[in-house]
Amino acid sequence: MLKTHIFHITGTHCPSCKILIEDILREQEMVKHVQVNLERETVEIGTNSEKTSKEFAEILNEKIKPNGYTLSIDNFNTPTTERYDDVIWKAIPMGLLFLTLFFLLQKSGILNFGIGGQTTPMTSFLIGLIASVSSCLAVVGGLVLSLSAKISEDNESDTKTFILFHAGRLVSFALLGGLLGVIGNAIGINFTFTAILGIIASVVMISLGLNLTGVFSKHRVTLPSGIFNFFRKIEHKSFTPLAIGFGSFFLPCGFTQSMQIAAVGSGSFISGMLIMFAFALGTLPMLALLSFGSASFAHGRHAPLFFKSAGVVVVGLGIFALLAGLAGLGVIYPLFNI
Amino acid sequence: MNKIALSIVTLSLVVALGIIFSWGSEGRAGGSAGGAAQNVETREGVQYITINARGGYSPRVSYAKADIPTKLIVKTNGTYDCSAALVIRALGFQKILSPTGEEIIDIGTPKAGAPLQGLCSMGMYSFLVNFK
Repeated sequence: MLKTHIFHITGTHCPSCKILIEDILREQEMVKHVQVNLERETVEIGTNSEKTSKEFAEILNEKIKPNGYTLSIDNFNTPTTERYDDVIWKAIPMGLLFLTLFFLLQKSGILNFGIGGQTTPMTSFLIGLIASVSSCLAVVGGLVLSLSAKISEDNESDTKTFILFHAGRLVSFALLGGLLGVIGNAIGINFTFTAILGIIASVVMISLGLNLTGVFSKHRVTLPSGIFNFFRKIEHKSFTPLAIGFGSFFLPCGFTQSMQIAAVGSGSFISGMLIMFAFALGTLPMLALLSFGSASFAHGRHAPLFFKSAGVVVVGLGIFALLAGLAGLGVIYPLFNI
Repeated sequence: MNKIALSIVTLSLVVALGIIFSWGSEGRAGGSAGGAAQNVETREGVQYITINARGGYSPRVSYAKADIPTKLIVKTNGTYDCSAALVIRALGFQKILSPTGEEIIDIGTPKAGAPLQGLCSMGMYSFLVNFK
């Protein structure tokens, strides 16, 4: 007897996802017919198996997980569009509340206490702690949050990716710090270079943030599917999180730059390494909280609300970083002073 | 939840963000010319403008005389934040200042009506010196 199951599907980012999912599912023996509806984010499956919807979803999930899609039987009683409209209305004030608190903290001047004396690994650890909640968070933290939420949204085995990112960050800070200690000013870090990297990071943040809010979910066609396939491919490789961790050394952050100069001034591999490593270690708690926190929310009951709030926050920070970065390059007049 | 209540909350948060961003940058339009004079002094024919850099630059807007040799002194005191990474595009000056100390930058003989702008490398802190 032919039974029809309807599942909710997540991770469908591109028009070609429909074809891919249908191809994979059609290969399964018990699947007789398959129909993906991208707009409603559902998949309709006809089967002659007597399994319950839940069992069936688990079996099929194993097949499509590697491609970044997830089937579920939850979240399904209300039509998707209505549910999303509701969530975005809560997500916008939540995201804005976070942004307001963040910029109030910057404005308060609490973070501006001075640390005198020589830069030791201990002081650079403290500076790392401060940096991780300072305006640097707008660039580095925003990027971490957007990538983490994106990865968690697509893929449940995200812990490994985050550990690789943080490990890559710690190791490359230590190595590059050591290198700065040895070579010194020979590889002075160029301001324009970091500013351009910052602008690229902010553009990535804005686009990922908009994607997370799902504002354009009904117009996915406008997002080039080639780029998404590229992201899909790279985000599952071990190399990418390591490389992003490495790249975060060069992201514009005044604190990082001060520490880099301290490493240059230290004059030896070991002391340069210790300074940068301690600094990266200081930034770790906040960044780890962002990535692992987003992973735990992502698998919880409030996942849609979390993704959309995170999207609002990331778009806000991205716009801030973009405007500041353009001002830093001298392209536009500085619009604000935080 | 009630959409009207949520949109009121949203609106008030937008207003709050607007206030945060505009508060403190009022100096740009004209500012307090009275308080700004204290950081400019002339010694032996050279005009010195002092800017403190820590968690931003102060004063944000300074007024100095044009057509005399001028030097800018940027003072740091336990400064590790972005304001230590100073960029002055007009002079081609880019340097990460030492955490505590004074950086003396020769800005030549400025012309009236050509304000000098300094920024931190990330662009969220800035200062302006007007010459007249």
